[in-house]
Amino acid sequence: MVNESEGGQQEKDLVGSYFLELWRSKSKRAALSHTKDVEMMKLDDEGEELEEEEEPVPTELDTLNSSGGFSIVLPNKLSVQYPSVNLHGHDVGVVQANHPAPVKRLLYYFEIFVKNAGARGQIAIGFTTEGFHMRRQPGWEANSFGYHGDDGLLYRGQGKGEAFGPTYSTGDVVGGGINYTSNEFFFTKNGQVVGTVEKDVKGRLYPTVAVHSQSEEVVVNFGKDPFIFDIKVYEATFRAKQQEVIEKMVIPQTASYGIVRSYLQHYGYEETLNVFDEASQTSVPPITGIHDNGFDEYGVYALNHRKILRKLIKDGQIDEAFGKLREWYPDTVQDDTSAICVMLHCQKFIELIRVGQLEEAVDYGRSHLVKFYNFKEYEDIVKDTVGLMAYEDPKKSSVGYLLEDSQRENIADAVNALILSTNPQVKGQTSWLHSYLERLLKQLTACILEKRLSNGNQGEAFHLRRVLLANNI
Amino acid sequence: MSLFWSVIRQLAEIEAMATSKKVITRDEWEKKLNDVKIRKEDMNKLVMNFLVTEGYVDAAEKFRMESGTEPDIDLATITDRMAVKKAVQSGNVEDAIEKVNDLNPEILDTNPQLFFHLQQQRLIELIRNGKVKEALEFAQEELAPRGEENQSFLEELERTVALLAFEDVKNSPVSDLLDISQRLKTASEVNAAILTSQSHEKDPKLPNLLRMLLWAQNQLDEKAAYPRITDLFTATLEDPAI
Repeated sequence: MVNESEGGQQEKDLVGSYFLELWRSKSKRAALSHTKDVEMMKLDDEGEELEEEEEPVPTELDTLNSSGGFSIVLPNKLSVQYPSVNLHGHDVGVVQANHPAPVKRLLYYFEIFVKNAGARGQIAIGFTTEGFHMRRQPGWEANSFGYHGDDGLLYRGQGKGEAFGPTYSTGDVVGGGINYTSNEFFFTKNGQVVGTVEKDVKGRLYPTVAVHSQSEEVVVNFGKDPFIFDIKVYEATFRAKQQEVIEKMVIPQTASYGIVRSYLQHYGYEETLNVFDEASQTSVPPITGIHDNGFDEYGVYALNHRKILRKLIKDGQIDEAFGKLREWYPDTVQDDTSAICVMLHCQKFIELIRVGQLEEAVDYGRSHLVKFYNFKEYEDIVKDTVGLMAYEDPKKSSVGYLLEDSQRENIADAVNALILSTNPQVKGQTSWLHSYLERLLKQLTACILEKRLSNGNQGEAFHLRRVLLANNI
Repeated sequence: MSLFWSVIRQLAEIEAMATSKKVITRDEWEKKLNDVKIRKEDMNKLVMNFLVTEGYVDAAEKFRMESGTEPDIDLATITDRMAVKKAVQSGNVEDAIEKVNDLNPEILDTNPQLFFHLQQQRLIELIRNGKVKEALEFAQEELAPRGEENQSFLEELERTVALLAFEDVKNSPVSDLLDISQRLKTASEVNAAILTSQSHEKDPKLPNLLRMLLWAQNQLDEKAAYPRITDLFTATLEDPAI
């Protein structure tokens, strides 16, 4: 027999730690963006979620690991020349980029400009691995790939090339790229795709150029200057093709309605739910299969209570919210040192600061917050909260995030989850912590990450934010 | 778990290993899911995008109040758009055309196919209401000249006037034109054109993400056995397939 109060305690702890963690993640983000200047912050707002994807990218040619006397990298580190007369196949002037091509993205691409095709135009562009033999043309050795200018052939791993594209010479711009999703290399000449070839090598690849006859000179562009080839269009075309495949997947006609509906129920957006139901009654066929799974019972549990509490918190009426919780769910707020109570007390303090009642805030802090300094697990959030007092314009301070709408929403979500956890039907489960929508999005993200992992961690991840920002008209 | 099921499960894992597929147990997978962070505000935006694009203007307004999420379009324009859609759905095509032009005359000017389909729908409604003379006049004066611009318009026009030739339209090869789905088709075409004119996507993002989920799961199936979600309505994880 499960001890009732003990079981409830576990769920309360889970809710508490989960939402404290959400609070902390906001605090960290705020601290991070506060240390950067305003210009950076703007960029950050859109790009922050992609931060984890940051990898070093090639910016210049590597002057240390190059083929000694057989190539001269000019001081700008973007040009390479062949200084002498070539004698045999082991005196190629090869230079790699200073970093391997980044992999956590859809595409990588770079270009060369053939400034001088020299005596015989034995120029190559391609990709090589770290231990590449630096006196050989890219493509001649195992795990290397090169598109050669003198014969237009593609070499991959052996001295014999295969028919690929046109030759190139002085004045031409040639590009080499990797598509991590299709697992292919592609090469371009003067802005046009020449062809693609399967990338049958795992591991990091360096953009590589080679020169091999007298006075040959090549200038490399790693993206500092605009490319001649329109990589944006190429990417868009590829994505559109992928999208076509995705659109062929069949989902139940009412899936989106059902998921939106359950989302509104889960978070207690009751008024929206009612209007939504009213409007969709006429246009959407009834959603089947739901009642078999106890879906509705779970979703409507304490719906009205959750809605009322959400509204109180959104309006900054924390005392009233506390009062309702004591009245309806006394167990949940019995322990004044539980995470949920600490968050609510902090929120009360925040609301006093918001309306400029500083003296009341000070009193409230002394009577309700100071004692939490002794709890290691709450120390940081209490510090942030009390810190609001230090600023004349707290909105613009490093703890300004506390005054944003999302802070109230987080507290409201915590209380909502706390009430959901009291549903006797879900005892022992944690499914109530996340909405169906969230679970589906987590599954989507995890699948794409796992697929990438199986592909040597190459390719792009899924970011909901990127989808939201994209306007695919 | 009964012995039977645990044996079945073990067999599944063994078989998966034999085909060199990686097996990810439920515990491992749940850990991975836990590491994925989805922001509440982003989910709110996704829901708002659905309400707005599908035209649930009242729900969008309530959702703005309840969740503090700002819609990515002026809500007033949804009301206008839904009025147009409704007009087509209930057969008031003339009214719909007028409303579209009030909204933005460029929509029909720059979209001859849409304009033709609206006029065609108007013709269908005239025929439906038994206004034969009016229908013929309308077809000859308004639609036939448009057909000269475009061969496919002409074919569609011929198919539509064929409605007049059958006494028992319901059993004719062109009966689909009188079907309610024809109205819905035209209505959704106008809806999409208005959204595009407002620099807004014509489809909500949510259904596409659901399709993407099914696609991503299929992709991963090739590499690993892992807990899948097949029932989108309950988002329940199922144990790795046998």
